Amino acid sequence: MSAQLQENRDSVTLYGRRWSRENADLSRTFDILVVIIMFIAITAAFHLHFQLTVGDWDFWVDWKDRQYWVTATPILLMAFPAALQYVFWEKFRLPIAATVCMLGLTIGIWITRYSGFHTWSYFPFSMVWPATMIAGGLILDAVLLLTGSALITAIVGGMSFGLLFYPANWPLLAPFRLPMEAMNSLVSVGDYIGYAYTRTSTPEYLRFIERGTLRTFGGHSAVVSAFFSGFVCILVYLLWWYIGMAFARVATLPNRMKIFMGLHDRGAEGKDA
Amino acid sequence: MRLTSPVSGLLLGLLAFVAASEVAAHGERNQEPFLRMRTAHFYDVAWSTGKVNVNEDVVIEGKFRLFEDWPANLPEPEVAFLGNGTPGPVFVRTESWLNGQPAIQSVPLKIDRDYAFKTVLKGRIPGDHHVHPMVNVEGAGPLMGPGSWVQVAGRANDFVLPLTTLDGTKIDNLETWGVSSVVGWHSVWIVIAILWLAWWTRRPLLIPRLVAIDEGREKLLISRADLAAGAVLIVLTVSVVVIGFIWAENTYPRTIPLQGGRAVVKPLPRSDAPVEVIVERATYDVPGRSMQIRASVTNQGGRPIQFGEFATSGLRFVNRELPAAMAMVSPTYPKDLLPPSGLKLDDATPLAPGETRSILFDMTDAAWETERLTSLINDPDNRVGGLLFCFDDQGDRVIANVSGPIVPIFKDLVAHQGMTH
Repeated sequence: MSAQLQENRDSVTLYGRRWSRENADLSRTFDILVVIIMFIAITAAFHLHFQLTVGDWDFWVDWKDRQYWVTATPILLMAFPAALQYVFWEKFRLPIAATVCMLGLTIGIWITRYSGFHTWSYFPFSMVWPATMIAGGLILDAVLLLTGSALITAIVGGMSFGLLFYPANWPLLAPFRLPMEAMNSLVSVGDYIGYAYTRTSTPEYLRFIERGTLRTFGGHSAVVSAFFSGFVCILVYLLWWYIGMAFARVATLPNRMKIFMGLHDRGAEGKDA
Repeated sequence: MRLTSPVSGLLLGLLAFVAASEVAAHGERNQEPFLRMRTAHFYDVAWSTGKVNVNEDVVIEGKFRLFEDWPANLPEPEVAFLGNGTPGPVFVRTESWLNGQPAIQSVPLKIDRDYAFKTVLKGRIPGDHHVHPMVNVEGAGPLMGPGSWVQVAGRANDFVLPLTTLDGTKIDNLETWGVSSVVGWHSVWIVIAILWLAWWTRRPLLIPRLVAIDEGREKLLISRADLAAGAVLIVLTVSVVVIGFIWAENTYPRTIPLQGGRAVVKPLPRSDAPVEVIVERATYDVPGRSMQIRASVTNQGGRPIQFGEFATSGLRFVNRELPAAMAMVSPTYPKDLLPPSGLKLDDATPLAPGETRSILFDMTDAAWETERLTSLINDPDNRVGGLLFCFDDQGDRVIANVSGPIVPIFKDLVAHQGMTH
């Protein structure tokens, strides 16, 4: 039996402390309830954040470009994992926050893409498939576990988070970057899908995609974009780690309003009005 | 039972829900009149058919003019895209052309110039769909042309969109292309994530760990096996990413980035415009649903002309006394956009070459109301705009711009004032 869990008939030792069997069972029931609720809450909140920030870059196959999609998606995704990593790690020593976020987000996205975009709005799934973000979450958690340091997690994990996004998605994206000819013009299969399936109020020019403005080494702007994204992810990670810290802190203020209203707080004052 | 009771409110709500009819169009009448009367004027629009089966084509052809009196509050059409106003992707757009040039990319357009368009749509989702030609202009939004109902019959599951790429890859159906790869790689990552979470959630999680940290026993929370699992996870994650990338590179060796260029399309040659129209006074009789435009018209051409049609916002007020004008009306043109009263003139005699005459053009019909153009009086920019189609004695057509301020007339207010005085 490991040092973490030692059992006998009436009690159980959890992480060096003896618990009654009943309390341990209650604690486990509490775990299950909170995990379910938290997973749904994180999924919903992170999914909303993702829809509002990454939005079209992930909605459509003809927005997943080598510049903005690669740059913006990891940066915008970093907020929730970093903030929750503080809470999960500092309060519980659990290196799973980023994975929970990414898994919840993935499940949420699949539900909305299938039900909202595909079934409800008739878009083919080849047009609206979501990117995968789980690899970056796994790396963030693993680096935090091995180092126990927010700073190193930001530098190594944050950079990896930005760098891994494009190659992790390339197996999904490559079939849609095959070249084809349409109306005597060269387009990718993804371009043609975006052209063929009408988004009435989202014309071609609304796409925020690479239009040849990023000077690159070797002609492949995704590499430059990924490194830039990784660099910004380092900063964003640290920012949100401290935001997580701020929101996890319990603080109280003396109730001055009662005094202003002429209602002296007996407990605080220790004497009658 | 009182009407305001919760039960009656609930019943009324249910009744409204049950009685609500399906909304099949898409709000084109809700656009402000100044947008519809002074931006893109579509004309000669024709739909090849009003009924197709799934996988069959409907072709929409016509022309549009970007109006000379373009609203000052809209940016000029430096970036525009030929779209189609449909309820989402119920059709698939397989081709679109502007003046014979491919319209797959966005283009700059010129004001007061004409463009011919052609769009080929392939039936996909069965139903009755309202189909408009449309031009999207950056900063101005979608500018809709006239809409016609097209019925798509058959089964949605029968739809296919096959194509062959330049490297010879045959795609049986674009609807499902690449989806198995997406599902497969997502599944791989989801399984790894679940295994990682299971590694940690199999043991007591929250309160015991919180207590352990509070009591300074946090070293017991992370075992050597946990650290080893973390190291394995890093190696596994990076390995899967690298393997996936190499697999994709080998499977799809020839790929290109998204194509985001801008095309260039020259407008149609400019006509000589031998007809000049200067609006003297335009009025709109609100309760009478009648627009009257008195304009000074000069025939600058060499042949006598007559006036055949006033067109605005897809509405076509056609002079039914003029056969050349009636001949231009396609049988597929939507009847609700062809007001039966048509265009009336106070003087219909031909305008001789060089002659200038003040003519009253009368367009009276409930279509002003049903098309919600009467809300023009609520616009901060009260100007009317449209195209006047003139025909010479050989049937040749000249199109003149008509624009000017418009004044509403409230006859009910006049009558009320008359009674009180």
